This record gives sequence, structure tokens and C-alpha cells, in this order.
Amino acid sequence: MSSLPPNACRMRVRYIKDGRLAYLGHLEVMETVMRSIRRAHLPFEVSNGFAHRMRIQFSQALPVGAASRGEYYDLLLAEPLDVQEALGLLRESTPASIAPQEARLLPRRVPALEAWVGLSCWSVDVVAPGVDAATFDQKLEDVRERGAIEYMRGQKPKRIELARTLVSCKAKDTDQGTRLLLQTRSTERGSLRPAILVNAVCGCTPLRVCRDAQWHEEPDDTLVDPMQITLGANPERSE
Amino acid sequence: MRTPRKDCFHRIEPLLGKVEKPSRYLNHEWGAWEEQEGPFHACLIYPDVYEVGQPNLGLSILYEELNEQEGFSCERAYLPWVDMIGLMRERNIPLLSLETSSPVASFDLVGITLAHELVCTNVVETLDLAGITLLAEERDEDEPFVVAGGPSAWNCEPLAPMFDAVQLGDGERSLVAMSRCIRDGRAKGLSRSQILERLAGLAGVYVPSLYDVVVDKTSTRWGYAVPKKGSGAPEVVLKHCVPDLSSTNPVAQHIVPYMGVVQDRFAVEVLRGCARGCRFCQAGMTYRPVRERPASQVIPAVEEGLEASGFDECSLTSLSTTDHSECELIVRTLKGKLSERGVRVSIPSQRLDSFGVEMASLVGSSRKTGLTFAPEAGSQRLRDVINKNVTEDDLMRAARNAFRNGYRRMKLYFMMGLPTEQDEDLLGIPRLAEQVIKVGREELGPRAKVSVSLSVAVFVPKCHTPFQWAGQLPLAEVQRRQQLMLHAASDRALRITYHGSWPSLIEGVLSKMGRSGFDLVLAAWKRGCRFDAWADQFDFPAWQEAAAEVGIDLEDVACEQFDLQARLPWDHTSPGVSKGYLQREWRRAMQAEVTHDCTMDTCTGCGVCPNLGVANVVVGDRT
Repeated sequence: MSSLPPNACRMRVRYIKDGRLAYLGHLEVMETVMRSIRRAHLPFEVSNGFAHRMRIQFSQALPVGAASRGEYYDLLLAEPLDVQEALGLLRESTPASIAPQEARLLPRRVPALEAWVGLSCWSVDVVAPGVDAATFDQKLEDVRERGAIEYMRGQKPKRIELARTLVSCKAKDTDQGTRLLLQTRSTERGSLRPAILVNAVCGCTPLRVCRDAQWHEEPDDTLVDPMQITLGANPERSE
Repeated sequence: MRTPRKDCFHRIEPLLGKVEKPSRYLNHEWGAWEEQEGPFHACLIYPDVYEVGQPNLGLSILYEELNEQEGFSCERAYLPWVDMIGLMRERNIPLLSLETSSPVASFDLVGITLAHELVCTNVVETLDLAGITLLAEERDEDEPFVVAGGPSAWNCEPLAPMFDAVQLGDGERSLVAMSRCIRDGRAKGLSRSQILERLAGLAGVYVPSLYDVVVDKTSTRWGYAVPKKGSGAPEVVLKHCVPDLSSTNPVAQHIVPYMGVVQDRFAVEVLRGCARGCRFCQAGMTYRPVRERPASQVIPAVEEGLEASGFDECSLTSLSTTDHSECELIVRTLKGKLSERGVRVSIPSQRLDSFGVEMASLVGSSRKTGLTFAPEAGSQRLRDVINKNVTEDDLMRAARNAFRNGYRRMKLYFMMGLPTEQDEDLLGIPRLAEQVIKVGREELGPRAKVSVSLSVAVFVPKCHTPFQWAGQLPLAEVQRRQQLMLHAASDRALRITYHGSWPSLIEGVLSKMGRSGFDLVLAAWKRGCRFDAWADQFDFPAWQEAAAEVGIDLEDVACEQFDLQARLPWDHTSPGVSKGYLQREWRRAMQAEVTHDCTMDTCTGCGVCPNLGVANVVVGDRT
């Protein structure tokens, strides 16, 4: 047994999403992960409500069709366990395209993942006639000047402000088209999806979207890796 | 020449971002068979979208059985939703299997589940999208054998021209035998027609092309089927029956879907067959005899299945689970073992008595949502006619028991248009519901929020039931009776919903017609009909146009009452229940005489046991 913090009963897991499973929706990923945990026979806690659900928290939803190298969930455990052994069991029980990559035990009381991890780094491939890195940058400036993107989500009109949600965007030319390295921030008023930005800028859907990493932003703009959270540093509580 | 077998996922992958619910088309689910080397390849198809077809337990059983055989591989396919079909047709992409994304037309055997009558145009759409020749008799030597089976295969005549063979009864052994027959026939270089003749020699296999349809004065206008001279096909194809359910694999469901499906849980079949004898119920007649799986097999099977799948709910599946003689033992044991792990147990239908309520309370969560019962008819006379052996007292006792157990909502299923139904029987439906509300208020207080929902379906006479000779209610009469009931319901706690009368009419037409019904199905499909069971896709005017084209009147067909002595379009197939028994039951129905359940009393002479050489298997005592 590895050395554990005295009150360790939360396991944070980083997992990927790629291949054809990139087309799973967030609820489908959540259900698949929970079933994987049950198959791995980990000692998870269940809620005391009428439904007795597994106590688990996920980081922010990834759009359907987007791959990721850094998604996270926190699993509340009824008893401590050997985290490497648990990671091995989880890998055996999870489809390879959403396989867990690393795991760490954390104290039970840490900030809720969804609200705490707010900054996303994306790589986005765009193939559009007449659009290279320079023209993309130019068109992006036009969109930025408008301050917001308005779009339809199903039947509902949506509006996303860019000043807070679009942190940075660097475009570079590749053999196939244009690659964007994008940083977005989720706010209480919404999150900017890469496909929405690309559509607003050059009127097409991206060829490929991958979330490369997610970070927590401290008030002094320091970025914190969710797996490297400093224990007990944050006063917010998830429970 | 047979379509080459190759992985075509690259052709649909670019479409995934353009369609609703792309997870329908992904495959690679946990538990799916990965090795698909064959050399005999079968593809089982549920002709509806993935989330409807994937939970089908029958298909899971067949999938596992075939894949466990040496040299056989079995894959699945579902009909893509209309958005994907449109894109595939634009790009000339044929229907693909899930596991290897191979063209369905490249398989040796294509099996299609007939779950209900309204799936008919989807079967045409499936074969057309797959690029398989629609009519069996026009298929090339090398094309796949297209076989059908499932609960609605009993009157498959309106679809029969599309099938090389139809499997009747329990499929787990029969489909393996059919696959072997095709494989061996191919290996010996037999022609397609020679293989069909061999298939017709197997138990429970009906080969439509070996039968002629004869219309004469002994038959209805739809005729009856007789074996072609020299074909060697049997006059009557008896269903295949597995005598002992415990000899089958209890853990048949291994695939864990990614997307939410209609029954998103692990299911174990605890019981096959039902002998309650409801005279309208096709499954009650065609799945006989009753065969219970013992608790000693069910309980470990549930534990094993849950461990392997990771589901957080298990369903004890059957036509009537609370009739299982070890139901209480199974439910209490599983509840004790599973509740701490956050796993729920569910039972698909509740018996209308205090035991049913007790079991529902046991499996239900601490939050009592609602209970569902099916009295089916509003008066005691009519319940006796349909042989629904429950009384108003049973319903009130069950309701009182449910309200005492904390339930506040109740859903009651009824049918309208049952044989001999009068207005007073219909008016009994809201009266009964208001009585239930009154009981609820007595138990929970006059101001308690009690509610009762009535769901009233149109009765559709089905083949191989005692009501197979009955006519369906005309549309205008359905509407009049619906209004009658609506006006009779005064309590605000009562909600009435009706099933659509138009889809029920089409269901009735397809349940009545013989082989010439295929012309109607084809004409409807050519007018764009598909996904007829989906309210937003069902196009009644198109069906009316199709009927006009083939020269029939839909109401005239569905509402026709057959003569009790007439030869019927499905008389050449038999689930083992004798026609004499069905005629006797019809006469008893007209006299409102009830017939008891043979698992709780003496034999009722339905003929299943002697005809099939089987017997009821009840592991404990039924009460």
C-alpha cells in the first residue's frame, strides 16, 4: 500500500477520449466511466438519496466529436486503496479510447472539479478554402471586435462573450490547412466551444478538435494542473 | 456476385459529426465480440434504431449462441435514423454491420427480428439500404440468406416474399441449426433452392417460397398456404421449443451500450411462457409452455452479469415475473445482496394483487413514484370475456395496498374495442379509475395528491389467439368511444391518454392480411413510409394512398370478422396451441366463461404439451 494522506478517500483520475469514442456525448462518457468503475470493483461510495448513485464528479463537458488528452473525474471512496492497483483495474475495465492515464488520492474535501478547472487548451485543425493562418488571424480580429458570437443551439439562440472566454488563439499553417492553438475559459455565463469560434471566423466546421489540457487558474493567473493540486490550499469545498 | 466483405467505417466516419446521436454508429461497446473470423458470417438486424434494438434480449441470446459456435461469427446491425440514411444514400454507402463495419450484403446469413407489425416498412428499408435483392425468389445464388424471427413472425405473410426462411418459436438452437444447414449446403455446392428445401426440414423453420397461397371458399379472402407439390415442406410448421429454460445460458446479455437505450439495464430471463390465458394476448399463446428458471440459477446469473457489465440495474424479465414460483426468494435475495452496491432490481410487470404490490414495493426505491396495473377492461363481464382473471376487488385491494405502501400515482392500462364491448363496459373504465382515486383519498386523506393515469389502446386482434377471428373497431367508432370516456371522467386527478387510432389500424391490417399484404407494404414504403412506430414519422395519408393503389380499404380489412371455420392465412404455422382450443376459447369468451391457469390448476387442453412433447416447468408452488 502506498502512503496515503490520513483522510484520503477521493481518487482523481485523468483519462483520455479519442478515436471513434470522441463522438460520445458527456452523459454517455459519464455512464461509461461509472460502469467501468463498477466492473473494476473499486470501493466507491453511494449517495444516501433515494437513487443510491455513485458519488463521482466530472470535469467540464467535452463537445461531441472532440477528442481529449486531459479529462478528469473525482471518485469518492468508501475506503482507501492502492492507487496504482486501482488504476490498473480501471484500465482493464475501461474501453481503450477513454482509458485512465493517471490517478491520485486526494483528501475528501477539495473544490468541485467542474467549477475549479476552468481553462482549456485546444488544438483545432481547420481545412477551409482560402483560409490560412494569416487570414484566420485577420478574420478572428473582426470577430473579436464584435465582442460576442451569436449562434443557434438547436432551436435556441445563444450568445457568448469573447472578452472573458477567449483567452488566446494562435494560428499556424500546416500541410493540410490551419492549426489553431486555442485557450478558452469557462465562465458562469458560458463556455466558448472551438467549433463555434471556427464557424464564426471562417464559416466551416473544424476537421478535428482535441482538448490538450485543462487547468485551474489561481487569482494571480498561476495555472494549476488538476493532478498537482496543493492539498488543503483552497477554502472552497465540494461537499 | 456477393458483395465483398471489408471494413467500411472510414465511409461513415465523416458523417458522424453531421447526424443526431452519432453514438448509434460507433460499435466497440464493452462486451461486443471482437473476433469475427468466421468463416460463416451472420448478421442479426433489429430493423429500428440502435437504442430501440440493442436492449432486445432475444437478439442478445441469438448473438451469443451463434458466436459461441466454432467457425461461426455473428455481428449486429440496426437501421440508421433518417438523417444518417439520407447521407448514406447520397454517398452510396450500404447498410453496414456494427462490429466490423462490413456491408450487410456480404454476410452468409442476415437475420431480421420482427418485434411488431409496424416494423414492416423498416424491413424493406433495411434490405434496400443493404443492397440485398428485395424478393427472395429473385435473389442470386450467392446473395445472403435472409431469415426472420421474433414475436411478430407468427403472421409474417405480408412480409414473407422478402424472406428465404422464417424461424418460429425459440431461436437459440434453431438459428444455429439453420446456420449449419446453410454453411454445409454451400460447402457441398448445393443450389440456393436445394438449401431452402433442407431448411424446410428443420424444426420450426418455414420457407415461404415452398408454399402456394390458395384462395377458395374454405378460406378468407387472404387465402391459406399449402406446400408446393414435391417440395417436401410440412403442411404445418410447428414451432421449435426449448423444453427446459435452465438448459440455456442465463447470462445472455454482455454488451454494454454507450448511449442511453430504452431498457438500459442488465436483464435475465427468469421465465418463458405464460399460461394465464388472456384471450387477446399473442405472447401468452405463442410462448407456451411455462418454463421457469430456478432461483439457484437466476441469482448467480444476475451477480455474474452485473459484475461483468457494470450496470447499476437488473431486470428480471419475462411475460409475468411475479408468477414465478420463486419470485419472492429471488427478489429478496437480490435486494439483500445488491442494494448496498447501489444496484436496483426491477420487474417489468406487476400482478394485479397484493403480492404484486408487495414485490413492487420491495424492488422499488424509497421514493414511491408510481405503480402500473393492467385491468384491460372496465367491467367484470368484459374482463371475463377476455379471461383477465382479476376482479374489481382485486384492483381495489391492490390499490389500497399500494397507497398504504406510500404510492400516490397509479397507471392503469385498458383496451377499447374488445369483442362484445358495449358502452357500459367503456364507461366502467373511468368509473374504476375514480374508485381507485377514492381509495387513495381514503388512505392518504381527502386532500392528498393522488393521481391515476389511464392509457387506453385500441384492441388489435392477433393471430393464434382466441380473438384471431374478431374484427377491429372502425376509426369513427374509436373516436366516438374515446369521447364517451373523456366526457364520463369528471375527477381532475384522472388523466386519460389514447394510443393513436391510425397506427393501430395499420397494425390491424397487417395482422389480418395474407401474403398479398406485401403489395401494400411495398406501396407504402415507396411513398416514404418507414419508422411507422414513431409518432413523428408515421404518415397515415401515405398508407391510405398505398391502400388505394393496391385496391383495398384499410378499415374494411382491419374490421372484417373471420368465420370461425375459415382457413386462415397463418394456419400453416403453429405455436403448438391447437385451433380447436382457440375456437373453444372464442366460444367461452362469447359466454363470458373464464378458463383457469394450468400452472395453478388442471390442464386446460390447449394442446401445447402433446403437440410439442413438452410440459410446464414450475420449480416451486404457484399460488
